[in-house]
Amino acid sequence: MEKSIFDTYEEQLKSREGSSEVIDTLKRELFHQAKTLGIPTRRDEDWRYSQLKAVRDKAYALPVQPADAPPVTPLLDKTNGTLVFVNGAYCEKHSDLSNLPDGVRLSHLNNHLAASEDDRAEALELGETSLVKLNAAMMNAGYVLSVPAGVTIDQPIEIIHCATDAVEQALQTRLMVQLGEGAAATLLESFSGDNADYWTNAVMQIRLSEKASLTHYKIQNEGLNATHTSSVFIDADAESRYQGYNLQTGAAYGRAEHHVRVLGEEADIRIDGANMAKNGQILDTRTHVDHKVPNAVSDQIFRSVLAKKGKSAFQGKVTVALDAQKTLADQSCRALLLDRTAEANAKPELEIFADDVKCSHGATVGELDEKAFFYLTARGVDPDSARQILVEAFAADTLEHVTDDTMRDLINGQILAWMAALKED
Amino acid sequence: MLKIENLHVSTEDGGKEIIKGLNLEINAGEVHAIMGPNGAGKSTLSSTIAGRSDYEVTSGSIDFNGKDLLDLEPHERVGEGIFLGFQYPVEIPGVSNLNFMRTALNSIRGYRGEDDMSAADFMKMVRAKAGELEMDMDMLKRFVNVGFSGGEKKRNEMLQMSILDPKLAVLDETDSGLDIDALRIVSEGINRQRRADTSILLITHYQRLLDYVKPDVIHVLADGKIVKSGGPELALELEEKGYADVA
Repeated sequence: MEKSIFDTYEEQLKSREGSSEVIDTLKRELFHQAKTLGIPTRRDEDWRYSQLKAVRDKAYALPVQPADAPPVTPLLDKTNGTLVFVNGAYCEKHSDLSNLPDGVRLSHLNNHLAASEDDRAEALELGETSLVKLNAAMMNAGYVLSVPAGVTIDQPIEIIHCATDAVEQALQTRLMVQLGEGAAATLLESFSGDNADYWTNAVMQIRLSEKASLTHYKIQNEGLNATHTSSVFIDADAESRYQGYNLQTGAAYGRAEHHVRVLGEEADIRIDGANMAKNGQILDTRTHVDHKVPNAVSDQIFRSVLAKKGKSAFQGKVTVALDAQKTLADQSCRALLLDRTAEANAKPELEIFADDVKCSHGATVGELDEKAFFYLTARGVDPDSARQILVEAFAADTLEHVTDDTMRDLINGQILAWMAALKED
Repeated sequence: MLKIENLHVSTEDGGKEIIKGLNLEINAGEVHAIMGPNGAGKSTLSSTIAGRSDYEVTSGSIDFNGKDLLDLEPHERVGEGIFLGFQYPVEIPGVSNLNFMRTALNSIRGYRGEDDMSAADFMKMVRAKAGELEMDMDMLKRFVNVGFSGGEKKRNEMLQMSILDPKLAVLDETDSGLDIDALRIVSEGINRQRRADTSILLITHYQRLLDYVKPDVIHVLADGKIVKSGGPELALELEEKGYADVA
């Protein structure tokens, strides 16, 4: 079965060749890596809580661009730039780069890879699964966003991925974000789509130089028949800061991964997020923070809210190398089951080789606090609103470090919309 | 205002009968106190009036201003004008006290077909009422009851009562866990709620609250029934002789 899928992908790959010899060779190599690894199954330890069935059962087609790019509604009013990807391809019509500060550039990833042997070697190393390899092999065009040293982008850059009429198509987007020394930026990335059965397989590579600071909000609100797999890879140099927030409410199957390599001392890594799954949705989160050097901090707060056969898994791994002393790593993951048909899984993993570190993790699964629920209704709040207030409060743990009011309201708004829709179902 | 007739209440699982044929009538303008030993059914009675689902009414009726209370959901009872002061107010992390009270007030107003109170009017009202109860604004901004001392929790209950302005306040052991100062502040809160058009039902263990809030009628509840009713002098008699001798 799998063989035939990869045969189809191999044919698709051929149709993509011809840009340059170096890139073609790289892509072929990546493709063979992917084929060797195969699509993950439950036998793979990191995939034991969920089935990537749709992707294993059929080959998705190369994406087709709609004749007319559909109108795109940004989530933010004020930005320093908007990048729009429709069915995996950059959409010039709806993107707006006119407000990017001087020196900030968007360029083609292929040019980048063609010019740098190191980057090609890294592309080959990146990722543990075939999905990341397949993304690199099959992407129709990747992009690089570079922020030069010392430049601060005041307003967020909004990155919109939308799918339209992409029936059984695979949307493979790849972005590299590079922040020079002391540079600072905020990204709001969103994924949305219609009711078609499509597959988003996105990869983002983030490189933070010394003292660079990136805040990265990611909202996965794909169409409810879609499959979403995405991976963010972060390399953090000394005193750099990454603050990630990852909300998943969409897709029939959604899996968001964060892989962080802490390469410089006093790096400050935060990954928070929430999965809201219902009506048989499966939403997974996997994180891996790899502390390779001493004196760095990482913190993660994840919450899942699950109803009506919704299912989620949180797998959070922290590794601390032998000489990564004084590492502070914290992880909290809690799930709230709104009914007995929902399912939550949690697997915190700590691999610590250093002896002078503070690492902790906590995981709980619970139901709505009945006492709090009665207290609210005994003050006149109707049951639906009471439930909504308690869910909002539960998920609010993840927003503790989101200091920007606009972003907070935006994420909270998505959570409330999810609750409101739950009532309608 | 409130008329309870031949009420029988069991635990939810249909097991143990706790209230065994209770009758009680409270008119507008009256303050009643129910006293009784542990396990007599005092808290079950207040929970039943508020509509807690842990209890099952097996027979009898509760009429509240002409409405069958047992037909209404807990939040609807509040809309009709009932307030339950909790013996153990619940902590709700993540929900600010102010938002909680504003949501509660506007829920009740919505139930009654009234518009929401504006944020400005609400804040003005809360400031005034919190001042009366010697609560600072910091307590209002914190999460509901989280990290509050016993006395602060009870003052917070009184603040909610004052904001929601019920027709009937059922106060379940509101005096428990209070020091002398807090008892005075809480009692003053109760007395402010005492009007010709409101009723109050105090549920208490001890006589000391009744030194501050003078009830019109005192009932002794024992083994799920009211075994004796009388004027304020009954409290003193209970204090002196204990429940066993009086009841």
